[in-house]
Amino acid sequence: MIALLLMAHGSPRPEANEDIRKVADLLRSEKKRPFVLVGYLDCNEPDIATAIDDCVTAGATTILAVPYFLHSGRHLLRDVPAILKDAALRHPAVSILMGDYVGHQPEIAEVLMDRVRASG
Amino acid sequence: MRQRGDAEIVEVGFLNYTDPTFATAVERCVEQGATRIVIAPYFLIAGKFVVEDLPATVEKVRPRYPDVMFETAGVIGFHRAMADAVLASASAARLPEEWEDAMVDNRAWCREQTKCPLYGSRVCRVQIEVPA
Repeated sequence: MIALLLMAHGSPRPEANEDIRKVADLLRSEKKRPFVLVGYLDCNEPDIATAIDDCVTAGATTILAVPYFLHSGRHLLRDVPAILKDAALRHPAVSILMGDYVGHQPEIAEVLMDRVRASG
Repeated sequence: MRQRGDAEIVEVGFLNYTDPTFATAVERCVEQGATRIVIAPYFLIAGKFVVEDLPATVEKVRPRYPDVMFETAGVIGFHRAMADAVLASASAARLPEEWEDAMVDNRAWCREQTKCPLYGSRVCRVQIEVPA
């Protein structure tokens, strides 16, 4: 069973995390990805490590961990891989892979342009 | 966005750490003939950078161009296309070790900035360029 794990930075303001929860809902409902979890690097629960453990408990054999980040900075290139490698040691039978970051996808241009149009 | 033909002029400006700065990006727009500049905050949420730092930066630059109209669009926030971006990202999944190497390539765009959290660290370009 393949789990999709959205990894977000997290924010001390609860409303800031509402967007990623909506994206996760959309993936479950319309994109037919029933097994979607969210994990946070900071500020919020569950943290990424706990979310991975939850995926495994729920029966995941492959976890596709997607960074919900716009930039490939320190968190993405050091902190997140370290957490995932650590999790791989805890769950040697599970394939834990790291996806590209969402900021790298062309869909972002579409979103930005929608925001620009809405401002006019 | 240039490839998509979204606007006649598309420039990128950074608030911190990276060149070109916001002011330089505005200058480039005006040089190319922009009379209206829509600033699209490349941020997921409207946090401190967007709510405080960005308007302050805009207000610093705006008086230089009295004939140019400035507008600021909304942040990325929730958008249905973000679910597609997640799926595209998931399809590129590989071992986490492979992502760490990308760090080295990224700093090519850095500018020296003592406020950067990585300044002077092992991965900082400023240190790495010091001759051995």
